[in-house]
Amino acid sequence: MELTDAGLVARVLVDNDQHAYGELVRRHQSSVRGLLRQLTRGDFARADDLAQDAFVRAYKNIRSFRGEAKFSTWLYRIAYNRFREDARKRKELVGINEEQWQAEQDPQTVDPGLRHDLMHALSLLPLHERSAVLLCCQNGLSHDEAARVLDIPLGTVKTNVLRGREKLKKTLAAWAQ
Amino acid sequence: MNEQTELDWLDRKLQEAVSYIEDAGFTARVLEQLPAPQLRWQFLRPLILVGASALASALTYVLSDGGRFLVVEMFKVSTIPTLWVVAFALASGMLVMAGGIFVAMSKTNQLQS
Repeated sequence: MELTDAGLVARVLVDNDQHAYGELVRRHQSSVRGLLRQLTRGDFARADDLAQDAFVRAYKNIRSFRGEAKFSTWLYRIAYNRFREDARKRKELVGINEEQWQAEQDPQTVDPGLRHDLMHALSLLPLHERSAVLLCCQNGLSHDEAARVLDIPLGTVKTNVLRGREKLKKTLAAWAQ
Repeated sequence: MNEQTELDWLDRKLQEAVSYIEDAGFTARVLEQLPAPQLRWQFLRPLILVGASALASALTYVLSDGGRFLVVEMFKVSTIPTLWVVAFALASGMLVMAGGIFVAMSKTNQLQS
């Protein structure tokens, strides 16, 4: 029987079981790396470095995980904070790496042209709106969970999601017809 | 398309745009960077208990004049009438047997449930 995230966290806490932590990393690496790739606008190497740091930081601070939120929400928060720190240090916004982005996406599900425009439209959103849209609309977090991750009031998350979606809708209007 | 349908379409496309990222050694790299597990207090617990017991025994031995009270008590036991010793042994045996039966029954109940 497969252990739940909470069960694996308990093993890490009680037995210092690094194999259990490895299983948690395996389960969540795709979503965390995916989020960071979008936040860094397609800078895969930087996103993976940040994801690695986030997972190591999560392990070191796992005692502060109280199980009030889902483990993935807690992890997203650490990853987002790590991204913010890095972005603050760089004080620069990197342009989207479209070639690499398109090369690594699965061409079966979404029209490549639409994907390109979608990613480009996302990259044009200001960070606060992009983060809220990515967490709520793409990664399926509730507004409340996104508010925990982003450490902002619930109302602000709702506003950011609304504004972000409106902007995306306008930019992609031609595709929606 | 009406507004709600457009937003639903947008959410769907956003979700579809997410593809699974293969691990490709990522987890292994994270595990390599984790700090080595520290020696935890639970490994020290038996050592502390054994050490404290040894210290207490040594103190008792010294304070009781080399365990002299043991000799005295053994002498007292040897003067107890044989009938009393037999009765005491029988009572102890029955007590242990009752305990054993109780544990066996509770284990059986656990296994059955």
